[in-house]
Amino acid sequence: MVELVPSLLRQELNRLAEDGQRIDGRGQFDGRDVHLEVDCLYNAEGSAKVVWGDTIIYAGVKFEIRTPWPDRPTQGSLMCGAELRPVAHRKYEPGPPSPDSIELGRVVDRGIRESGCIDMDKLCIVPGEKVWGVMIDIHVLSDGGNIFDAAGLAAIAALRTAVVPAERFDVGEDYTLNVNGTPIMASFKRAGGRFVYDPSEEEELGGDERIHITLGDEGHLHSLQKGLKGVFTPDEFAEILAVAEQKCSELRKMVAEKEGN
Amino acid sequence: MGGYGDVKLLRDDGKRLDGRAIDEMRPVTIEAGILPAADGSAMVTHGLNVAVAAVYGPMEAHPRKIQRQDRAVIDVRYNMAPFSTGDRIRPGFNRRSREISKVTAEALESVVLVERYPRSKIRVEIEILAAEAGTRCAGITAASVALADAGIPMRDMIVGVASGKIEDTVVLDLDKAEDNYGQADLPVGLLPNTGEIAFLQMDGDLSIDEYNLAMEYNFKAASEIHEVMVDALKRRYEGGEA
Repeated sequence: MVELVPSLLRQELNRLAEDGQRIDGRGQFDGRDVHLEVDCLYNAEGSAKVVWGDTIIYAGVKFEIRTPWPDRPTQGSLMCGAELRPVAHRKYEPGPPSPDSIELGRVVDRGIRESGCIDMDKLCIVPGEKVWGVMIDIHVLSDGGNIFDAAGLAAIAALRTAVVPAERFDVGEDYTLNVNGTPIMASFKRAGGRFVYDPSEEEELGGDERIHITLGDEGHLHSLQKGLKGVFTPDEFAEILAVAEQKCSELRKMVAEKEGN
Repeated sequence: MGGYGDVKLLRDDGKRLDGRAIDEMRPVTIEAGILPAADGSAMVTHGLNVAVAAVYGPMEAHPRKIQRQDRAVIDVRYNMAPFSTGDRIRPGFNRRSREISKVTAEALESVVLVERYPRSKIRVEIEILAAEAGTRCAGITAASVALADAGIPMRDMIVGVASGKIEDTVVLDLDKAEDNYGQADLPVGLLPNTGEIAFLQMDGDLSIDEYNLAMEYNFKAASEIHEVMVDALKRRYEGGEA
């Protein structure tokens, strides 16, 4: 990408910020429209599609039976991975997973894992011999900005609607995966000198650092990540944390409503 | 093909296990222009298969060694999502997806007016979200609609469709069980407007007569799917949108 475009865009974002505006007309902490669909992929044991502005992301859950690690004979495992494939944007190149896609997968993984919503001991089939490995794969189809929040939402929604395919593996009857909690991510980006919620593609191109906050049902922090160049103050963090609390509880309600259907 | 003859795939009333007649296709739906980031895109559902295609370009071809002085190169990637099948697939290319990508690119190069865009590259990304036999065909169909959606000129849209043989009977459009336990599979990419064949693969065992009948089924199904493809593009562009 030619550096000229981001620098012109950067000037424009700064100019807009002086009047408290954003490039797409939103307020500083307004999010774009979010649509969530669950149970939408035939071969996945749990699945979700998130359309978040111009961003489209699928997440699918698969199970496998594996041997537990010797030091944790009764614990299953959870893994969340993301692929930023070239389908999602012209900026993505084919090849092995990029640092960006590894970061995305790991930040979403930490939020879900550290919230404790999956009890690893409940994934045990035969201690020391057989445990479930749960794999969440995040598939970004269209990157229109803020893929982190959309990926986090798709991943937890897919997980919460997953059915353990015990029959197919000949270890009992199928049952709904027990998920105690709905960790949700909220992401902020410095654009025009101040933080905005839910950055668009242009704000990502012409902005500075980003901060991702994952909150659990009780409002506790489960994953934090600061990405890209830039520094911020404790006061700035306190401000966006308050916004994150509100955004996360709204999205958590959306997940609960979809599960009810 | 998988095991022969040991699994019953035709019912006593002559219908197939899912109730279809031998020359009946699974339902096909197509939507054009579904991915905001792409220059052209489409989603095809063919039975339980879900294929999404995105087109980027024409754009500068790099690395430079892939450039052709007189035409565009078409860079196709066919990829199955890890959650698209019964057992999870490890992400990344494998021999199967590389081969399908290669022959799909060559098929598309035969219909796209590549000589209009010398030294450039057209990227076609095919993502399979749910796989239940017939994904390469659904992918070709999706890629054609996505290319048209991107405004790239073509002689015709390629329609992906397959016929095969189960219990010594030629049938149109194999499903998962028929693909696993059947005797032959003939996936093709057809140009309904000219009656030509741009994509051809086959495995199994077919007599010449069986091949001819399978191809007859394929051409019949291709013109049906072609109508759905045209319809999807009309829905996208009628009424002055985009």
